Amino acid sequence: MTKLHVAVFLQTAGASEVIDRVPASFSPFVLPFVIGISFFLCWITVGLIRVLYAIPASDRRKLAISLVNPKIAWKNIRDLFCDCLFHVKIWQRKPLLGYMHSSIAFGWFMLIVLGHIEVALFVPWHLSFSKGSLYYPIFYRYFIWTDPAHVTLRGSFFFFLMDFFLLYVLTGIALAVFKRFRSIVLGMRHTTKPSLADRLALYSLWLIFPLRLLAESFTADLSGGSFLTVPVNHLWHLLFGEKLYFMPVWWAYSICLGVFFAAMPFSRYMHILTEVLWILFRNAGLQPSHPRKGVAEAEIYACSSCGLCLDACPMNVQKKNLKYSSVYFIRRLRRHNERKINLIADKCLMCDKCHVLCPVGVDAPALRRAQRKTVKNALTYDYSYLSALSAPGSSVSSAENAPETETSGRGCSVPSALGSSVSFAENAPETEIFGRGGAVSSDVPRVLYFAGCMTHLTPRILRSVEELFRKAGVDWQFMDREGGICCGRPLMLAGRTDAAAELVAANKRMIEASGCDTLVLSCPICYKIFKEDYALSGIRVLHHTQFIKELVDAGRLVLSKGTDSVVYHDPCELGRGCGVYAEPRAVLSQIADLKKPSQDGDESVCCGGSLGSLTLNANDREWITSGSVKILLKASDGSPLHPDALVTACPLCLKTFNEAAPVPVKDFAEIVLEHSA
Amino acid sequence: MKNNVLIIGGGPAGMEASAQLQRLGYNVILIERESTLGGHLNRWDRLFPEGVPASEPLEALMKNMNGVKCFTDTEIQSINRLDKSFNVILSNGITVLADAVLIACGFDLFDASRKEEYGYGIYDHVITNADLEAWFQSKSDDRIDNPKRVGFVHCVGSRDEKAGCRGCSKVCCVTAVKEACEIKEAFPDAQVYCFYMDLRMFGRHYEDLYLKAQKDYGVRFIRGRVSEVSENQDRSLLVKAEDTLSSKPVQITLDLLVLMAGMRHSEAGRRIADMLNLAPEDDGFFAVRNNLTANQQARMPGLFLAGAATGPKTLPESLADARSAAAAIDHYLTDIFPQTRKLKKLVKKNG
Amino acid sequence: MVDFGFSLSPSSRIDLDEFDRKTFDRLLALEPDAKKCMECGSCSAVCTASRYTETSVRRALHALRNGCGAQAVEELKGCQFCGKCTMVCPRGINTRHLILSILKIYGAL
Repeated sequence: MTKLHVAVFLQTAGASEVIDRVPASFSPFVLPFVIGISFFLCWITVGLIRVLYAIPASDRRKLAISLVNPKIAWKNIRDLFCDCLFHVKIWQRKPLLGYMHSSIAFGWFMLIVLGHIEVALFVPWHLSFSKGSLYYPIFYRYFIWTDPAHVTLRGSFFFFLMDFFLLYVLTGIALAVFKRFRSIVLGMRHTTKPSLADRLALYSLWLIFPLRLLAESFTADLSGGSFLTVPVNHLWHLLFGEKLYFMPVWWAYSICLGVFFAAMPFSRYMHILTEVLWILFRNAGLQPSHPRKGVAEAEIYACSSCGLCLDACPMNVQKKNLKYSSVYFIRRLRRHNERKINLIADKCLMCDKCHVLCPVGVDAPALRRAQRKTVKNALTYDYSYLSALSAPGSSVSSAENAPETETSGRGCSVPSALGSSVSFAENAPETEIFGRGGAVSSDVPRVLYFAGCMTHLTPRILRSVEELFRKAGVDWQFMDREGGICCGRPLMLAGRTDAAAELVAANKRMIEASGCDTLVLSCPICYKIFKEDYALSGIRVLHHTQFIKELVDAGRLVLSKGTDSVVYHDPCELGRGCGVYAEPRAVLSQIADLKKPSQDGDESVCCGGSLGSLTLNANDREWITSGSVKILLKASDGSPLHPDALVTACPLCLKTFNEAAPVPVKDFAEIVLEHSA
Repeated sequence: MKNNVLIIGGGPAGMEASAQLQRLGYNVILIERESTLGGHLNRWDRLFPEGVPASEPLEALMKNMNGVKCFTDTEIQSINRLDKSFNVILSNGITVLADAVLIACGFDLFDASRKEEYGYGIYDHVITNADLEAWFQSKSDDRIDNPKRVGFVHCVGSRDEKAGCRGCSKVCCVTAVKEACEIKEAFPDAQVYCFYMDLRMFGRHYEDLYLKAQKDYGVRFIRGRVSEVSENQDRSLLVKAEDTLSSKPVQITLDLLVLMAGMRHSEAGRRIADMLNLAPEDDGFFAVRNNLTANQQARMPGLFLAGAATGPKTLPESLADARSAAAAIDHYLTDIFPQTRKLKKLVKKNG
Repeated sequence: MVDFGFSLSPSSRIDLDEFDRKTFDRLLALEPDAKKCMECGSCSAVCTASRYTETSVRRALHALRNGCGAQAVEELKGCQFCGKCTMVCPRGINTRHLILSILKIYGAL
């Protein structure tokens, strides 16, 4: 640029503050960016149509209604800002990491928005497509000339904002680079391994903003600038003399942007846009019915691969299990790697911690269940014997209804014993499903107690609950004293939903016939499915922690405070699964000194006994259990808690911990009974 | 110039080894955590296979203890390996410089309440083998109230990876058969059931005892592991197992259920191992130098092991093990300390 | 062939020649724990479904070891998948996955 040219521009532009420096408003360096962004825009348009096409019509209707529903619309706007731009959920857990994510997301967003506003304010004709609307706002500083003598307050205000947000993004980028090498500083023990496309996108993302600074500072004496670009521009003049060759840096900047957008659909950065769609789906209440299509597609591309789920996953006490984390599961889903998908889907404990901690709210456990369903739902089953079960009072006669065992014709006959009836269903006089227990009084609700399969292996819970019911004078019936049928949740977790539906129907029939108005459960696994899928009309479904709290609040159980200290472990299905956190704590704090372990509430760690995992073996489970015990026996600052007892509210947790913990392990009902008058 | 030998644990193995080493002319110091010598023998009424009272071998062991310095109610405070010897500080304040140390810490009985599903400590009529032996001695236990139907559960905390013990405890099978006979003697009307996975009657005369239980006492042996116990309203027990021989689940109502708690490594022994930085074997018991040929030597010079410290053993096995350990210690001290060798030669020469 | 006037019925005897090693190896590849069973019967004793119908993992596995795949599948059809058997197995066998794997491999035959 010579002084003469500038003078010509000045004359033609008259009094205008900003002048088109390049009359054709085009330069070949924008091509890489234009190609990249065009490819990207085509890709997402096709993708969006595909996703919308794949979801069922009813879901599409649901989505459309949700967009005009003011309540959901407001939630959408709030979530878009909080989740996509500010990353509030990450801020709450790991402030430094939150700053990193929000500075890049919000900073870049503001740069784009402000860039367009600048164009709209100063050179509005460039907003038309033929005048380069696709690239002009991005490379605004290249195309304009500003007379330093005539910069208005408005102009310098925008210059300041642009430099400010550029600096803001640059600090985030610096943290991101640092995190790649030293993730623990930002509070992450494990960080994800990037794929090739991830690397390509990552390195170009890292370079975009330093190059932008370079490019804008090289032209800052022409286009103008603020506190960041102008001093850097002086620096370049100091180093390279009067004449600056700025074309190479603008080319580099454009190439980086182009590479980033071209690589984006194949990288984790696709989440930047997909997240928006996922939030709309999520808030509309859409559930994935297939592990990869429709809603699930939006969900898996909304995953940012941030790796927060790596530290959340209880399996990762062993490093070899890192590959089973949700982030890698989702990556496999994207790549359609069927064998590995099944392997990872079956391994998961379904503790739901990754879902709760996910900044984007990706429900990876639901995707795993959907995946299991595609494989396991076809497995054979025969529950015809359930039809013999009916209302309380009627006895079970399994013998007649048991399916005849087939004789194999391959030279191996079934022993005759197998063909005949089950011995103890026949002989035992107590085969009634219901056994009446407790005093009958008219002013209390009729309570049905369903212990569940697992609780029969932990007699302490049965005993304590029975005793507490007796003390409180509850009018109750024991639904499965002699053993009932499974609630169906384990089948559901395994993806055998059709089989589960039969068990649900059989149990439902019996419960509704009982005429009770409250159903109390001791097993959180049962509780979740009874509450969510049974749709028992007119019957309250409570876990025993909730019911006991009601009895305490009503003054029907009188408790005394002891001197012992306890740590409470939130069972996955009760806490994260059903949101029951407050009730057990409210009662426990009345009877003992309740200490807070290093991880509890929605960060509670699975005991290792979960029924969710299909393939995890006993040895790996032991690792999880001992890891979990360590977490429970120390405070968040790492100091040992030395509690007198570990309290939980799930038969599986109780049995699992009891085999491994160095302190006594008690059920909630048991410790309440110890402290009741 | 006698060598000091420290023996940790005053059970049968520790007592036998002390007596042997004392006779060999060493200066023997025996320490015992409890206030009397004898270990688990004190709490056992009669012994398999012949039903000899436990007091008999105990008295015999006691007789040979003359000259052994015994410290009861004493534990190890610290133990360090020096150049050729061990510096041991006892809880009574005494410091011992021992040229050889023998660990005869024995075993702990498995805590049956860890097997949640059997309801030990919860149900009124569930007891352990140790509780039953105590009842044989004292004849007082509220849980044993003229039972008509008695069940024995073999392998409680043994052969059970969930309970952290993969191995067989060796003695429970024959103990259960012995106790089944004794229960029948105490309650002739009772019907006794043994729920077993495999009956391991490996020792001399054990099979005779098994035969006696079947023939004379009519004990019923059911091949199946009990895996669920519930309590009826009348406090009797409903026990569930599978009769694996007829391939059908069985249930039975019992008035008394005896859990045959197995042998676990001694926690007190583990503390000593930790002080010496000795890693246990996978089963929790002490590691030996060679499982076939050097069974009494620990993986540290001068340190020896005897009895159930190296895994479940019967009483005669423990005693034999103790004698082997005494011989191994004698060889070791003679090799390491030249003056011991000289002294021995001198004794030999002078007749 | 000499006619003795009667025929031996092969069906009353377990014929280990019928044991299909290849298919069993496929099962072991899916669930190696299948090798660990010592047939104590804990699983059958606690089984929720066995109260109403013929269901037993132990028997199913035993049938497989004797080469009777169809009988094994029949044994497991009534399984409610509650997981009690896994909880009580002294060998720590993942019985639930074993059941799924048997149904998957032998159910498809």
